[in-house]
Amino acid sequence: MNQDAFVVTVNIIKMSVIFLLMVQLVPILVWVERRGSAFIQNRFGPNRVGPLGLLQLLADAVKFAFKEEFTPGKGHKAFFYMAPVIALLPGVLAFGSIPLSIPFTLSGDGYSHTFATQVFDLGIGIVFVLGVSSLAAYALLLAGWGSANKFSLFGALRASAQMISYELALGLSLVGILLCFGTFNFSEMIAAQEAPLTFFLFGKEYTFLSFLPAWGIFYQPLGALLFFVSVFAETNRLPFDLPEAEAELVAGYHTEYGGLKMLMFYIGEYGHMMVASALMATFYFGGYTLPGLTVTGVQEFFSNTLQVESANLISIFTMLVFHVVLMTKILIFLWIFIWVRWTLPRFRYDQLMDLGWKTMLPWAIFNTVITAIVLLLRGV
Amino acid sequence: MISAVLFYGFSAFIIVFALTVLFAPNPIVSALSLAATMIGVAGLFFALGSHFIAAVQLTVYAGAVMVLFVMVLMLFDLKKEDAVSAMYIRFLKIAVAGVILGLISGAITLSGFSSNTSIMNVDTAAVAPTKKLAVLLFTKYLLAFEVLGILLLVIAIGAVSVSRIKGGTHAKS
Repeated sequence: MNQDAFVVTVNIIKMSVIFLLMVQLVPILVWVERRGSAFIQNRFGPNRVGPLGLLQLLADAVKFAFKEEFTPGKGHKAFFYMAPVIALLPGVLAFGSIPLSIPFTLSGDGYSHTFATQVFDLGIGIVFVLGVSSLAAYALLLAGWGSANKFSLFGALRASAQMISYELALGLSLVGILLCFGTFNFSEMIAAQEAPLTFFLFGKEYTFLSFLPAWGIFYQPLGALLFFVSVFAETNRLPFDLPEAEAELVAGYHTEYGGLKMLMFYIGEYGHMMVASALMATFYFGGYTLPGLTVTGVQEFFSNTLQVESANLISIFTMLVFHVVLMTKILIFLWIFIWVRWTLPRFRYDQLMDLGWKTMLPWAIFNTVITAIVLLLRGV
Repeated sequence: MISAVLFYGFSAFIIVFALTVLFAPNPIVSALSLAATMIGVAGLFFALGSHFIAAVQLTVYAGAVMVLFVMVLMLFDLKKEDAVSAMYIRFLKIAVAGVILGLISGAITLSGFSSNTSIMNVDTAAVAPTKKLAVLLFTKYLLAFEVLGILLLVIAIGAVSVSRIKGGTHAKS
């Protein structure tokens, strides 16, 4: 096979794996959301179908697949069908540019190839993620306008206004951490977070508690908080889910949707949450690394303790171990997303805008300026 | 091979949506096609290897400016605009577009730009990475950069003051 065809094939396979990963995680998250919300509210939640209600997911999938296809008569048909598909794309594209683990090597007689566990390694990493996820607003706008429904349109307009307002705070809250690491590239950021935690005070270098890693959260606690809050608004989750506020707007932009098209919006929303959690883990919690877990250490564990012979298998297992570390961090953040949803009440729309423009934006600028001054004094 | 496929694919994408911007009777379809054109331009930048400019194109133009355009258009009652798409307006559109196309292609041809093949054979590995761009922007072109910033600020202030004096929702009561 020639080189171009090989690269294209590998990338298509990677993209499909990423897409399936996102789609497969959604039913589990829906189950966690329903059971978790039930326990938070002192109810039982779905517990009839299968053990712990786990087969409820299957029943839901069947229900979604067999629902009646419905299109509003006066809507714009093309937009109406396009919107759910567009809702899926940004999440998948953004997730594809985040490194999910260390690269692994497959070799045999006459060939050897190192596969990065990331679909495309763009030098600019985070700027690409921000660019792609800002396109998600179109899905909501198309859905709202294509449905020819007042509630849908209100939901769509609110959603796009909200996303644009919070993108500013989101982008600015990340500038601090970008200044600290001095790079846009995810892999370089993760590599920088492996070192022990070090602070510079009055020209001297102090290493506190040598077991602590140099995770971004220790350098940028305010940035991390601002990022996490604006991500809630960006993903349209409670307490900022004004676009689908059911008490005012029926269901917002997806009022007219049902069946699989509705499910695609759900997958898009959870995909956004996954990207946000992965970014949170990569920027502030060391990505796929864990203090005390080194590549050579894991490889030696597999070759010496478990007696794995093949170099290919060792390489793949090591990759999987680091992938599990990242997935655990992502799942923790996804749980926080769900937990917050069932804990806080919804904001009012003007409160949301006030928070975005008058509170988060100034604090994000403050964080950026302070970080820049500190780095300048340190003399990087 | 891949770069050729990408180039022709994105070019076809851009041309199709640019024509839709012109010929769509519905202003919202036009605006969304313009957004698609921006995305295609970003794709071309990616294919050329200038990733940063591509991502900025996505964030600023496709992700923010066009979203606002579409949002404002959706607030209007567009039934009249749909009905007005009479023949003479279409001819006017095509004529204006043709004149502009002719001017631009004429300018490119006459300026001798097209004979400079070194621009077309861009070596993707040699394109300045983001850091180089930033250094240039903050040293050699600092004055132009700051002046542009001030210009944008003036525009923002002008927009606010105009919206406040002429009546409407933001007028001083």
